[in-house]
Amino acid sequence: MTTMSANFVSSQALATSLVLPAMQAQSSLTTAMTEESTGQYADFGLQLGEQSGYELSLKEQVGQLQTLTSNNSIVSTSLSTAQSALSAISSSAQTTLNDLATWTPSANSGASLQNMGQSALQSLIASANATSGDQYVFGGINSAVAPMADYYSPPASAAKTAIDQAFQTAFGVLPTDPAAANISASAMQSFLSGPFAALFQGASWSADWSSASSANTSAEIAPGQTVTTSTNANQPGFQELAQAYAMLSEFGGSELSGAAQQAVATAASSLVSQGMDSMTNIQAELGSTQSAVTNANSSMSSQLAILQQQVGNLDDVDANTTAAQINSLTNQIQMAYELTSRLQELNLAQYLPVP
Amino acid sequence: MSLSTAFNVISSSFAVNSAQTAVVSNNIANANTPGYSREIANVATNSYGGADVASVTREANAALLEQVSSSTSQAATQQAISDGLSTLAATVDDSSSASSTSGADQNGASPSAMLANLQSALATYEDSPTSSSAADAVVSAASDLASSLNSGSATVAQVREQADQNIATSVGTINSLLSQFTAANNAVVTGLQTGGNVASAEDTRDSIVTQLAQQIGVSTVTAANGSESIYTDSGVTLFQDAPRVVSFTPTPTLIDDVSGAPVTVDGVPITGARSPMPIQSGALAGYAALRDTLAPEYQAQLDQIAGGLINAFAESDQSATPTLPSLPGLFTTPGATSLPSMTATTGLAATIEVNPNVDASQGGNPNLLRDGSISDPGNPAYTYNSTGSASYTGRIQELAGEISASQSFDPSAGLGSSSSLADYANASVSWLQGENQQASDSSSYQNALATQATSALSNATGVNLDAEMTNMLNLENSYASSAKLLTTVTSMFSALLDAA
Repeated sequence: MTTMSANFVSSQALATSLVLPAMQAQSSLTTAMTEESTGQYADFGLQLGEQSGYELSLKEQVGQLQTLTSNNSIVSTSLSTAQSALSAISSSAQTTLNDLATWTPSANSGASLQNMGQSALQSLIASANATSGDQYVFGGINSAVAPMADYYSPPASAAKTAIDQAFQTAFGVLPTDPAAANISASAMQSFLSGPFAALFQGASWSADWSSASSANTSAEIAPGQTVTTSTNANQPGFQELAQAYAMLSEFGGSELSGAAQQAVATAASSLVSQGMDSMTNIQAELGSTQSAVTNANSSMSSQLAILQQQVGNLDDVDANTTAAQINSLTNQIQMAYELTSRLQELNLAQYLPVP
Repeated sequence: MSLSTAFNVISSSFAVNSAQTAVVSNNIANANTPGYSREIANVATNSYGGADVASVTREANAALLEQVSSSTSQAATQQAISDGLSTLAATVDDSSSASSTSGADQNGASPSAMLANLQSALATYEDSPTSSSAADAVVSAASDLASSLNSGSATVAQVREQADQNIATSVGTINSLLSQFTAANNAVVTGLQTGGNVASAEDTRDSIVTQLAQQIGVSTVTAANGSESIYTDSGVTLFQDAPRVVSFTPTPTLIDDVSGAPVTVDGVPITGARSPMPIQSGALAGYAALRDTLAPEYQAQLDQIAGGLINAFAESDQSATPTLPSLPGLFTTPGATSLPSMTATTGLAATIEVNPNVDASQGGNPNLLRDGSISDPGNPAYTYNSTGSASYTGRIQELAGEISASQSFDPSAGLGSSSSLADYANASVSWLQGENQQASDSSSYQNALATQATSALSNATGVNLDAEMTNMLNLENSYASSAKLLTTVTSMFSALLDAA
């Protein structure tokens, strides 16, 4: 009753031999179908194992670059706002310069000087207080406070009071006093280049004119690349223009003699030219930052493409392979069912004659 | 030979035939009983020329049985580890199917992904330092990171507590199997002494050993009297004539560095670091490895990340001549008054939180992120933005830089001693997924081995219905022949008597 053991198969082993492969194929089929629908591995962790951290770090780099790219639009907006404000300042300065070139001292011409100065100063202050979002673009890091206070506000601004005091100290009278007509052109010149000019520099400038911080904002525009993203109202250009416009506004319509007015106009004209040069320099600096941002964006966009490709290499399944896998698994399962039912037929009892 | 002898032979033939038929019936009846070894009736010629069933033996194969039990043990170990690790791995999963929510979560919810989100939020805040919504976004990213560490830590505790409960269940199963084994073993020993059929008791014994192997790696030795002894794969006696007591006291709460109790046999620990003979396989070994080694190692990594975060975001004295100690800033633990030491960071991951001083929802001021003095609002010593400028970004840049700056970690957590926070968090994900993948792969492999061994054992010792049917046909023929013989001998007797 013994049988050759190599040929011996137990009926139970035979009957269950197809159950396990069919179950495995079913579970693989579920995974393959998930992978086909998402185009990615069903379980990254099991697929990548030790490489999971690397895959995650690639994804995080992608996220970092995307964040920087989107943040750069904030930087660009604020740079554009600053540029257009600077253009407005330059164009107003050019107008003033042209007007000054055609100005000659005559009766009531002092009033036109005064108007020139006043409108240019108002426009300068408005441009210097330009905002992007909720930030004053010329405020430096002190971006929450308007960099330049209203000069013409009642009560008299600190800047106006300081100018009146300096004039009073120098000449003993106010510019509006008829006695001011006695001030000579040369005395006026030395006042303008001396005590008056000092009001627009250093501590006096910060105290009376500007609330801006001399420290500029900076931002990371690409990984590891931090650039200065703003300028501030403490730059010489602002001081020179404010100085020129203030002297026109204060001394133009005053009781000064024609010669003294001419001295004011000449001094203002030269300051406006200087101021325009300074503004051009600032625009050039901001322009180079703008192009740095553009370059950073384009280099990050190509890096993003490479990184996303690498993430894809790790996470994505080959659509053709998955489709083929699904086909062969389906066939395998069908075959297992078919064979199971045939094996049930392979039973000697079925072929024995009924006694 | 006399006719009466012929009668005796025929009668023994009927006896043998019915004994063999009983064996065939028994085999057919048990054709689908797992672990059943087919029985064989050994027929021998008796003294007067007839046949007797000398004994009924079972087709056993000790080598294959040993292979089944060892591969079952290995598969059970890996399965236990894989189940626990996949629970842990789910907390760091970034598969697309795992995150059904918005695109912000496309990297999953791991501490590593949350750290990257915090870095992004800081970068955005750096570009809009006056925006309180950007500051809120940083605080909310930081609080997500803290919750991710909290929940990771809670999952570790949960996995360890589950493993502890599983150990208790497993120990219960082992004790109950050992007492069942006592009955079966006694039946075999007594049966052998009295010459009875012990095949069924032996089957029961084998089946119990295979079930035991599921829980704990075992090896068996059979003594001359047929009594079987069971030893663990490390050599500790589980059964010798009588069962040994396997005992275990469950620990209900396994947080932080609380360690679970070892499993002991007769007072000798068989799991844990202090065991002289630790078991190597079986579900019990898997649960013990998970509870005592793997999960605590991941917990240590989470604690290191939490400690690293608190230190990286700490605030130092900004005075011209600093005299005050650095204090926890954005990240802290409840009631912390100093920075944690990196070599003893136990439990930080479970308790780390965003400092309430900076959290608007708890009445804090998110702008302190930019200005400093989160640790002690209003204290000028810890204020970084001394001029109060709205667009001061120095501190924000410093914080963003801290995430990618290199710092020291405790090497006992298994991920080296120096790395950046971001790299450390990624390395932790790699470690966990690597262990998970390894356990899952080796679980499939050992399961396949166990299936093959079981099928080989079944083929070697199981029942083939066709073979039994053939035997049955043989027995039918032999019965018919014997009956025919009986008729013939009877008619011969009749003829003899009629002639007389």
